[in-house]
Amino acid sequence: MRRAENIKRRVYRWFSSIKTSVYLFALLVVFYFIGTIFPQGADIERYAEAGGRFVEAVRLFGFLDIFHTPLFYLVAVLLLINLSVCTWDRFQRVRKRAWRESPDVERRLSLALSYRETEELLEEFIKKQRFRLISRDEDTLTAEKGIYYRYLTLLYHAGIVLCFAGFFLTGLFVKEGLLILKQGEPTPIESQMMPEVRGWLAPEEPPQFKIQLDEFRTEYILSRKLNYPEDGLSRLAIALGWQDITYTEEERFYPKDWFSKLRILVNGSTALEKTIEVNDPLRFEGYTFYQVGFEEKLKLKINDKVFTISTGRKKNIEELGKTLIFTGFRKGTLFKPDGTVEQIRPFVTLKELKEDGTRITLGRLHLGESMEIDGKSLRFEGFEETSILSYRYDPGVGLLWYAGFFVFAVMSLRCLGRWYMLRFRIDEDEGGKTILTVAIHCRGLMADSQRVSALLNTHLERYVRR
Amino acid sequence: MSVEDVLSRGAHLLTVEVRLLWAVGILYMVAAILSLYGLITATHRSGRMPHAILGFTLILHTGVILLRIFETGRAPFQTLYESLSWFSFTSAVTYLFVSKRWRRVGLPCFFVTLIASCAIFYALLGRSPEAKPLSPPLQSWWFEWHVVVAFSSYAVFVVSSAFEATYLIAKRLLKTRDYALGLAPEELKPFRTMATKLVIFGFPMLTFGIFSGAAWANEAWGRYWGWDPKETWSLITWTVFAMYLHAQSVPRWRENVASTLNLLGFVCMIMTFLGVNWLSKLLGIPSLHAYAV
Ligand code: HEM
Repeated sequence: MRRAENIKRRVYRWFSSIKTSVYLFALLVVFYFIGTIFPQGADIERYAEAGGRFVEAVRLFGFLDIFHTPLFYLVAVLLLINLSVCTWDRFQRVRKRAWRESPDVERRLSLALSYRETEELLEEFIKKQRFRLISRDEDTLTAEKGIYYRYLTLLYHAGIVLCFAGFFLTGLFVKEGLLILKQGEPTPIESQMMPEVRGWLAPEEPPQFKIQLDEFRTEYILSRKLNYPEDGLSRLAIALGWQDITYTEEERFYPKDWFSKLRILVNGSTALEKTIEVNDPLRFEGYTFYQVGFEEKLKLKINDKVFTISTGRKKNIEELGKTLIFTGFRKGTLFKPDGTVEQIRPFVTLKELKEDGTRITLGRLHLGESMEIDGKSLRFEGFEETSILSYRYDPGVGLLWYAGFFVFAVMSLRCLGRWYMLRFRIDEDEGGKTILTVAIHCRGLMADSQRVSALLNTHLERYVRR
Repeated sequence: MSVEDVLSRGAHLLTVEVRLLWAVGILYMVAAILSLYGLITATHRSGRMPHAILGFTLILHTGVILLRIFETGRAPFQTLYESLSWFSFTSAVTYLFVSKRWRRVGLPCFFVTLIASCAIFYALLGRSPEAKPLSPPLQSWWFEWHVVVAFSSYAVFVVSSAFEATYLIAKRLLKTRDYALGLAPEELKPFRTMATKLVIFGFPMLTFGIFSGAAWANEAWGRYWGWDPKETWSLITWTVFAMYLHAQSVPRWRENVASTLNLLGFVCMIMTFLGVNWLSKLLGIPSLHAYAV
């Protein structure tokens, strides 16, 4: 019986210790470190092929997915228990104010005042400096200013427990995937077998609504490329004034924004419409839809033979005996440097890939037009566009945000704010005189115990016996 | 004035800006060399000169940053070139602010000005000053705050580790002397308190830096954490500084363990900056980017 009690006490002590947290943090750092040097999410075979080292150890310990190994979860859970037990343990002590702390400043003064007069003078000081009198024992006055820092420490540690709860909710219930939407086609969520993340307890049934892309738009900014040299010496020449920085004549179309006009359909009727862009997603019934990208397929024709190709790809065109690259497909709205806005006539830039790997730009091919290449005509017939969205169902994220913000705010208050506690002990000396012992405690960057000490000096100056 | 306006004209403003930034980098270097000279010759009064140069450089650097804001019409933290300049600026400002009482102590000044000048030269030689229009994912309120706060916290940690390192060296030297690196034995403790105060100041900032990064990723891609090496290194840095703060309340660890953790935090911060790529290369492990999906 006593042994069991003993073990229980020791386990409690271990979990309520700050040393334990430091050890657990150190263990976590080891995991993080491994996670940064081994490519996470990579396939072990590809890893070995790419010349990865320590293949056996990597396989055995799951280094390629270290953050989902039982060992990592174990350390995280131990830290959570440590944090919770520690917070609870300190809460008990803080409530009773059972801390023995050494003061930042401690002084003894002999005052030419009676006990009563000293007390009155100190009360006056407490009031004037806006301290709160928090206790008055037989011979001791205790006053405080600001929020007791240990409450703040406790509060934000408890907030961290809530953040952990948010992570766990995410881990258990999250659902995540990609959606590729074609204009005008109502698409059920989870219908496409895209790479997907699913928490252990995530709802099995797919949502009862569909999503439809009504329109997809792109916007570009026209600008020119900066002619900034690559080598250090030329850069030094700029510094010395021997060379200037200039812009090239080469025009560049920088993406400004992409928009998907979306419609949520429930039983065939519209429940919600929104145009989303990157950083402005659509939210519906716990699901959030994010604009992550888009893809265009180009339809080209050569000698009556039609072929389709995705932008940015290369294709060996037998009729020409050449490999062409179709890059930089542009359509949509163009914002020009002079402030004017115009619609782009859709075009793709054609490049020829030579056998030695060099690329030669052949020029721009506009929609509905043809380009003569070696006497043959290559025509840009049309294009098809898809918008790529990611979706996520995550009941933990709300809790995480609120708790995270709370932790940040309270931690800032604790670290950057100020808290003071003054403890005065008055001992009667012979002849109606008193000995005053002052202990000043303070915490937080704004706190300055020397300043309070100086203020107290000024207040008591006239009565101090040297 | 917008990015487009600037791009539509010649690049003379940019040329001026780049030349001024070279001057700033060189002046930081001069301050570093003078601090080193003061250390070697042990003439602690020579501490005045590097500080005077540092003060002047900061005025010039403020001008460069304002010029950048004027050129681009937005906050100057959006490319690595800009962030490096901001980082060295905030490091130098933080140092000048907290070193008021410690002007005689030349080592932290050497450390900080050396890092500031290295950051500037890396920006000038390794990055392009081009002010490109922001790509759609970067067009977020969160991004600006994320970068400014995270980089400012790094600056605070640089100064903190400069103080910590000086403290450790001085502590050792004071075992055999009465005075070392501009410090007397009774000054050691308050000097070290400065290092701790700086971490206490920087830690909530780094917390916000990570939190805002996650909030931004969540808004842009719907995933607040992806265990990408950069994210993970920032978490390592954060965890190491959390260890430092906790070690402060374990009496036996308050001294050497805590000091080591502060310096380790600085190393981790540099790793976050430079990324893990070279470490992967060093160990012959293919980096994540080779597998990027
Ligand atoms: C998971 C992340 C954690 C973070 C970010 C964190 C952060 C901090 C910070 C910044 C401080 C110093 C400022 C202050 O005193 O308020 C601190 C102090 C403290 N932490 Fe944590 N902490 C974490 C986990 C833990 C855990 C697991 C424990 C459990 C033992 C713990 C116990 C304490 C205690 C008791 C203090 C006060 C030390 C003192 O001044 O006496 N913390 N923490």
